[in-house]
Amino acid sequence: MNTMTLYVEKDSPVHHLDPLVKLLYVVAAIALTYILPEPLFIAGVLFVTLLLLLVGKVFRNSLPILTLSLFLIFSLVIVQGFFHPDNVTELFSLGPLVFYEEGLYVALILVLRVLVMIGSFSVLILTTSPDEMVERLIKKGMSPRIGHVILSVLQLIPQMRATTSKITDAQRSRGMETEGSMLTRIKAFFPLMGPVVLNSLNETKERSIALEMRGFGSSMKKTFLNEEKQYPYNKLLGGIIIAIVILGIVWRVMA
Amino acid sequence: MNTFELKDVAFSYSLDIQIFDGLDLTFDSRTTAIVGQNGAGKTTLVKLMKGLLKPSKGTLLIDGDSIDKQTAAQLSRRVGLVFQNPNDQIFKTNVLEEVMFGPLNIGMSRNEAEKAAREALRKVDLESKAEDNPYDLSLSERKLIALSSILAMDTEMIIFDEPTMGQDFAGKEKIKAIIEELHTEGKLVLCILHDMDFAAEVFERTVVMNQGEIILDGPTRDVFSKKEVLEKAYLEQPYVTQIAHALGYDESFIHESELINFLNKND
Ligand SMILES: Nc1ncnc2c1ncn2[C@@H]1O[C@H](COP(=O)(O)OP(=O)(O)OP(=O)(O)O)[C@@H](O)[C@H]1O
Ligand SMILES: [Mg+2]
Repeated sequence: MNTMTLYVEKDSPVHHLDPLVKLLYVVAAIALTYILPEPLFIAGVLFVTLLLLLVGKVFRNSLPILTLSLFLIFSLVIVQGFFHPDNVTELFSLGPLVFYEEGLYVALILVLRVLVMIGSFSVLILTTSPDEMVERLIKKGMSPRIGHVILSVLQLIPQMRATTSKITDAQRSRGMETEGSMLTRIKAFFPLMGPVVLNSLNETKERSIALEMRGFGSSMKKTFLNEEKQYPYNKLLGGIIIAIVILGIVWRVMA
Repeated sequence: MNTFELKDVAFSYSLDIQIFDGLDLTFDSRTTAIVGQNGAGKTTLVKLMKGLLKPSKGTLLIDGDSIDKQTAAQLSRRVGLVFQNPNDQIFKTNVLEEVMFGPLNIGMSRNEAEKAAREALRKVDLESKAEDNPYDLSLSERKLIALSSILAMDTEMIIFDEPTMGQDFAGKEKIKAIIEELHTEGKLVLCILHDMDFAAEVFERTVVMNQGEIILDGPTRDVFSKKEVLEKAYLEQPYVTQIAHALGYDESFIHESELINFLNKND
């Protein structure tokens, strides 16, 4: 039972990949959506990304994150469709507001790009243990301090979730209504924010004291607890990803 | 409130481990201690009673009426729970505000709430800290703050989860006096304890829990005389009982004063 990370522990080929390769994939996938901003092409990248989520058996876990981003996506379509400066071809109109084809096209690219970003980050975060990733990065020469920052950020959401349920319990056990209608839930939400943020800050402070106590700030060279894992297809996969990116750039320049 | 009853209650956090399976238990006006090793399910039991957790099977009744449909917030007017870990309970940045939070929620006016809060703080001897930030207080003080925040709500039943943990002699005496006062006011008092001496000294009835089951339940003296059963649940008898036993007396003593009187008489 580990509720403190977003990582989903499963056995899949994606889980066994080198975190660095997955990180490279994130960068490459996002870069490609800028190098070749064609809806069809970005859809292809998105398809590969979703495929990776499926192979990694985390597609279902990524759905809440994707759904949350729907709000952003929806507003993108609206704003671009109505107000993009290149708008000329009318699609339909709502009273005085006119929805244009050019805007929709721009929005489509943006939407696909956002989905690629979220999807590829999901591949990385849902299938990679944060410890493994950070340890790998530190071995490659990243400062342990930055490693700690990354780990803290990754823990932030689950940690806040835990604190929230703790404080909700404390509040309802002393008579504050938090269940039931939407209105009660919304009313219960605001008094929660202060304590949750304060509690999180407090926990962070305590964690940093605990770390200092165990010599985190010492300038000695650190050793590692876990044995280095072997990643057999590293060079091959890394090479393929980089090759595809280069191909994309060449394509862009030629065309 | 006369009784709080659990009927055929089942509960589990996850599919693989069942915490309770068909638990039957009734609390009445006798002050009751629940003892049992770590992980026995004591905290889970009282969270179920508070409506913070919902049983997968069975009913809970107050004076014979089911409370299954009530939310934790509604129930909080009648049943108060002092959390095991005060950090799970305290969330305000001012002691007085913290203690007033419950009373305000259950409909007291600001004046009444402040009066109740100051009175509750007085009972734990912490009136002087009313304006402090709870995070700046020590753990034992925070436990007492958490306790007084429930006292201030003046509920018909009050449940303590490990109140004596980390308290010195004076702190324990304060808690003992509070429990006895609540009892004379006619309230139901239930207390989870690891401190067998405190349980033996203060409570009329003791329930021994082991892996989600009740293995002993009865007058405190009877329960603590069952050495073998207690040992099965990895519990010890109170020290007075152990000393009397070591001295070779057969009667079971659960209060220090009993043993002292007995020894004086036999001299
Ligand atoms: N939130 C939770 N999620 C999953 N399992 C839990 C949770 N809380 C408790 N448990 C498990 O349920 C069992 C009973 O826990 P509970 O806290 O009720 O024990 P307890 O008798 O209060 O122990 P202690 O004396 O240590 O306070 C334990 O095995 C514990 O690990
Ligand atoms: Mg407990």
